[in-house]
Amino acid sequence: MKRLTTSLAAMAAVGALTLTGCSSGGGGEGGDVQLQMVETLTNPARSAVLKELIAGFEEENPGITVELVSPPTEQALTTVQQMLQAGNGVDVLEVQDSTVGPFTANKWIYDMNADLEGWDGWDALTENAKKFANPDGPTHMMPYGFYGLSLFYRTDMIEEAGFDEPPHSWEDLVEIASAVNDPASNQYGYAFRGGTNGNSNAAAIITAYAADLIDPEDAFRLADGSGTVFSTDEAQQAMDDYLELFKNGSPPSSIAWGYPEMVQGFSSGSTAFLLQDPEVIATIRDDSTLTEDQWSTTPLLVGPSGKAAQPIATAGWGIAESSEHKEEAIKLIKYLASGDAPLTFAKGNSLVPILTSAADDPFFSEGPWATYVEMNEDPDTYLNVAQPRGVAWWTEWGEKADRELQQVLLGEMTTQDLLAEWDAYWSEKYASEE
Amino acid sequence: MSVTSGTLERSAARPAAPAPPPGRRTRRAFTRRRALTIAAFLAPAAVFVAIFTYYPLLSGGVGAFRTWTVYNITNQPWVGFGNFETVLNDPLFYSTVGNTVLWVIGSLVPQFVIGFALALWLRPKFRFRGIYQALVFFPWAVSGFLIGILFRWMFNGEFGVVNDLLMKTGIIDTPLPWLADPALAMPAIILANVWYGVTFFAIMILAALQSVPDELYEAASLDGAGRVRAFWHVTVPYIRTTLALTVLLRTIWIFNFPDLIFGMTGGGPGGRTHIVTSYMIEITQQGDYGRASALGLIVFMVLAIFAVFYLLATRERKEALR
Repeated sequence: MKRLTTSLAAMAAVGALTLTGCSSGGGGEGGDVQLQMVETLTNPARSAVLKELIAGFEEENPGITVELVSPPTEQALTTVQQMLQAGNGVDVLEVQDSTVGPFTANKWIYDMNADLEGWDGWDALTENAKKFANPDGPTHMMPYGFYGLSLFYRTDMIEEAGFDEPPHSWEDLVEIASAVNDPASNQYGYAFRGGTNGNSNAAAIITAYAADLIDPEDAFRLADGSGTVFSTDEAQQAMDDYLELFKNGSPPSSIAWGYPEMVQGFSSGSTAFLLQDPEVIATIRDDSTLTEDQWSTTPLLVGPSGKAAQPIATAGWGIAESSEHKEEAIKLIKYLASGDAPLTFAKGNSLVPILTSAADDPFFSEGPWATYVEMNEDPDTYLNVAQPRGVAWWTEWGEKADRELQQVLLGEMTTQDLLAEWDAYWSEKYASEE
Repeated sequence: MSVTSGTLERSAARPAAPAPPPGRRTRRAFTRRRALTIAAFLAPAAVFVAIFTYYPLLSGGVGAFRTWTVYNITNQPWVGFGNFETVLNDPLFYSTVGNTVLWVIGSLVPQFVIGFALALWLRPKFRFRGIYQALVFFPWAVSGFLIGILFRWMFNGEFGVVNDLLMKTGIIDTPLPWLADPALAMPAIILANVWYGVTFFAIMILAALQSVPDELYEAASLDGAGRVRAFWHVTVPYIRTTLALTVLLRTIWIFNFPDLIFGMTGGGPGGRTHIVTSYMIEITQQGDYGRASALGLIVFMVLAIFAVFYLLATRERKEALR
C-alpha cells in the first residue's frame, strides 16, 4: 500500500508540474501595457522591418511595449483564427482583403472608425487606401500597402525579335511572346501562370477585355446588373487570346507553374515576360543574372477597349474585438499609417504605398517602380476595380478555377465550357447572397 | 547422432523443470493492489491519449454531421448526412479515389521490393556498414513537404535536373513537361514517394532479418538448400509477420501521405494527382471543415475495413502454416 501511495504522490507531482508549465504569466507590470501583434504574411526580411518600426513606436510611446508574433506563413491563418476564437492573446493583427470578410462575420474584428475621427492622417492617404480604410465606417483594417500587377519584360529579347516597344495590350503581348518563343533553344515568351493562383491572371485579362462593362466595386459583376463578367463576348475573346498566348508564346510545362517557377523563369533568362507584383523587383535585383539594362517594367496590359482593370489586392492592420488595450492599439495603427512608417514598410516589402507623398520619393518615381506611379496617375486607363476577395467562397473559387483552367490548358475543356461554368458558379453564389 | 541426443536431452529435461507457480495466489494478488497500481501508472498515458487523440477524433467526427465553416464558426447547425451527400455527389471525389489506388499500389510495390533488396544487401556484416545504413536511411528523416518541393524543381520541365540528365544521356530529345502532363505527373510523384519510402521497408525488414537465427540457415544448408531456397523457405516464413504488418502500416501511411503531393503538384494538373487526403486538405483550406470531416470519416472507415480484412487474411495464412 505504501508503494501505491508513493506512486500516486509522484504522479500528482508530475501533473502539478505539467499544469504550472501550461499557464504562463502575461500582461505588463507596473502599469505598462504590452500589445500582442500578430502577422500572417510572415517573411524574415519583413519581420525585421516591422521590428524596426515597432522600436520607433515604443520610443515615442513610453509605457507601451509591442510583442510581435510571427507564426510560420503556412499555418499563420489557422493560428490567428484559433487565437481569435479563443478570445485572447491578440491585440493588433494583420488582416488581408481575403480574410476581412470571414473575420468580421465571426465578429472578431473591432470597428475602429470612431477612434479615428479627427485623425490628421486621413488626408495623406491615397484614394485606394481610403477606399479600404473606409473613413465613413466601418473601419476594420488600415491598409499598409497594395499589391498590384505590372508587366516585367526583357528589353534585349524583344529587340532581338524585332520589336522596339514593350507590349501595351494583351494582343501585343500574344504577338511579341509568340515571336520570341523558341522552345528548341530553351527560350520562351511569357511566364504563364497555370498552377496555383492561375485563375487570378485569367481574371486580369477577362476584366481588361470587359473593362467598360464591369462594376468597379465588384469586377465579377456587370455594371448594368445583367449577370457576371464571364457571360460576356468580351470574356470569350479574352480567354481565346489567353489560350493562344499559352500555346504559342509560353513554355509547355507552365501548366504547372506557380509563383516560384514564374519568377525563376524570368530571372534566369528563360522567359521574356512576367506579370507580377512589385516585390519581384527586389528579387530580380538581388538574385538574378540580369543586368539593369536588360529588363524593365511596363503597365498592366489593356484590352481591346484600351483599358485595364487593376485588381487591387491589399492587407493591413486591424484590432481584435477581444483586445483589452484598444486605446494603445489605435496609437500603434495610427503610427504605422502616417509619417515615415508607411513608406519604410512599403520600401522594405515592395508594396505600392498608401500615402500620396510617395510620388515625390525618388525610390518610387524612378526605374521599375515608376510604372506604378504612371498607372496611379492615369485612372481612366488603369481602372481601379475590386474583386470580390472578401466573400466566404473566395478560396473555394480559387481552387476550383485553378483546376478548371488547367483542364482548358490540357485541352480537356473548351474556353466556352469554362466560362459557362464560371458564370453559373458566380450567378448561383450571388443569388444565394441576396 | 547429435540431433538424436539433443532431442533426448530436451525431453529428459522437461519433467525436471520447476513446476509452474500456483496460479491462484498470483491471481488473487493481481486483483487488488497490483491492479490499482497498474491502473494508476497507466492513467496519465490513457488520459493523454484520450484528450489528444480520441477527443479530437470524436469531435471531428461529429463535425462531419454539422455545417462547420470558418466563415461562421460559432454557428454549427446539424445537417445529418448532408456533408456526405455533397462529397459523394462530387465527381472529383471518384477520380481522387482512382488516383489514390494508383498512388498506393504504385508506391507500395516498388518500395517493398527495393526495400527488401536493400535490407538483404545490408544484412551481412561488412566494413562501414553503419555508414551505409545511415546514408540509406537518411530520406526517412526529411519532411515530406520539403521532399515534394525538392522534387518539384528536379522535375521542372525547363530548369529541372531530371530532364537535363535524360537529354544529356540521349534518352530523350526534347524536355518532358513532367508535372504539366497528366500522363507523367502521377509517375513523377510516385517516383519521389518510392525514393522516400524505400528506407522504411529497409529499416523494418533489416531488423526482422537480424532476428532470424543463423542456425536455421546452417540447418537449411546441411539439408542441401541453396541461397534461393533458403530465402523462400527460411527467411520469408520467419519474418512473415513483420512483412505483413509493415505492408499494412505502409499502405495506411501512403494513403495518408498528401504532404509530398502538396509540395510537388498541389494535386494538379487539373486534379490528376489529387488523392483523397490531399483533396481533403484542399477542402479544409477552403474553410469547409464539415465537408472535410465527412471525407475524413469515409477515409477512416475504408482504412479500418481494409485493416480488418488484411489482418484476418494474414492471420489465416499463419495458422495454415502450423
